[in-house]
Amino acid sequence: MSYLEIENLSAFYGKAQALTDISITVQPGEIVAVVGPNGAGKSTLLDSIMGLVKIEGDIKLRGHSLAGRAPSEIVRHGVGYAPERFNLFPYMSVRDNLMVGAFTAREDIQSNLEMVHKLFPRLEEREGQETSTQSGGERQMVSFGRALMTSPELLLVDEPTIGLAPKICHEIAEVVRKLNKDYGLTVVITEQNANFALSLASRIYVLESGRMQTSGTADELRNDKRLLEAYFGGH
Amino acid sequence: MLQILIQGLLLSGLYALIAMGFTLIFSIGRVLNLAYGAYLMVGGYIYFWVSQSLGMPKLIGVAVAAALGVLMGVLKYRLIVKTLKGDHVAVEISTLILAVVIQAGIVLVFGDSSKILLPIVPGVINVAGASVTFNILIATLISWAILLGLYAFVRLTHTGRAMQAVSMDAKGAAISGIDPDRINLITWGISGALGAIGGVFFASYTQLSPSMWVAPLIISVAVVIVGGIGSILGTLVVAHIVGFLEVIVVATLAPELRGVFTMLLIIGVLITRPQGLFGREEL
Repeated sequence: MSYLEIENLSAFYGKAQALTDISITVQPGEIVAVVGPNGAGKSTLLDSIMGLVKIEGDIKLRGHSLAGRAPSEIVRHGVGYAPERFNLFPYMSVRDNLMVGAFTAREDIQSNLEMVHKLFPRLEEREGQETSTQSGGERQMVSFGRALMTSPELLLVDEPTIGLAPKICHEIAEVVRKLNKDYGLTVVITEQNANFALSLASRIYVLESGRMQTSGTADELRNDKRLLEAYFGGH
Repeated sequence: MLQILIQGLLLSGLYALIAMGFTLIFSIGRVLNLAYGAYLMVGGYIYFWVSQSLGMPKLIGVAVAAALGVLMGVLKYRLIVKTLKGDHVAVEISTLILAVVIQAGIVLVFGDSSKILLPIVPGVINVAGASVTFNILIATLISWAILLGLYAFVRLTHTGRAMQAVSMDAKGAAISGIDPDRINLITWGISGALGAIGGVFFASYTQLSPSMWVAPLIISVAVVIVGGIGSILGTLVVAHIVGFLEVIVVATLAPELRGVFTMLLIIGVLITRPQGLFGREEL
């Protein structure tokens, strides 16, 4: 049994179908990347796992179906989410944003806060600052931190490098590796940046126009020039 | 001058209490609850029935009014707002209709003549030459205590932070493990209680009548429009602007113009600063 199992998933925004017949498996402790161009359905896939979108098909976590569950229940099942647009609370301080993340994990507040501050020391330095006044990189950190405050076992990360400087992207990659190796988190990450995905994930799924095009290990995809050309622009 | 200052402070405290429940719903649920004035009316009448008709202790009267306010808020959210989710016009029209229906119910039960609500705390005190009734003084002090308590609740508790979170970004709240529906329900309950308690003090300041829901609704709408998306501190500031405006108009022009300048203020702000004076999505 896989840790996360997505079977024949289709997702809808009203009558518009955004994903068609997607199947993905994730093993415990893996980093899996879903790559594809803008509009491929990457964010919709993660929103579907979080229960934010109407779906058909099934999503199982540790064998338990998540389909039809509310996002708050899915968070309680150990799924944390750092979305592409951050969805932070702009007029709340960094610390209050993190504390909102602790809504379902109140007994772990101290240990989770220590972890977040260890991974992102800048958040501790600027804990009183409103997130509306922060840079994109800092907001990305708060978004990660808030997701970690929910005590997740599975972390969903949506396009973490978009619009960020290369140095910040490198820092984020390091954090994802640490979360995976040191804290044992399973990670599903979506990316347009193929190099970033290939450097981080053990397995990669390629999504285009809401359909799964191909999948394989990072090594397989790295060595397949045809695939690199077709989906990653030859990188 | 001192009389205006004292009367302005007292009236503004009462207005802040009245408007708070309305701005809470507007901030978190993005709903203009036009039945809010009816909460105040029902609160006032229930207090009248429990404490004056049945002769029970006044505190019991306030508690029963608050409990009924919670019930009205919760039922309204469950039966109307949630059912019409997303259709703001339908929600607002139905809340206005509900206010009229409640008014008809009040006429049926209590009759259409005005009733005098005895002061919750009788007596008059002289403050620096200005005579102040204990009733309005206590109403203001309780109003401040409730607003401070609400501020602390919103800032310091998990549920309060969740209310702020839902008001700022519902998706962000949901992926943090918060159930926005439950938070909305709690907010409607708190709003109902605040409205009903505000109604008890408002009725004791004016009088009970089946049309008494209109004036506090206008005050609440004014506070939301002039203040922008409601915050507790913003509500407090704007309630003082509206309160002082009324007191100054009554003292210097004519009592008949009491509400007129509040209306003009609403129109003026809508034209010159549609987002309101504060216009930040925070509680």
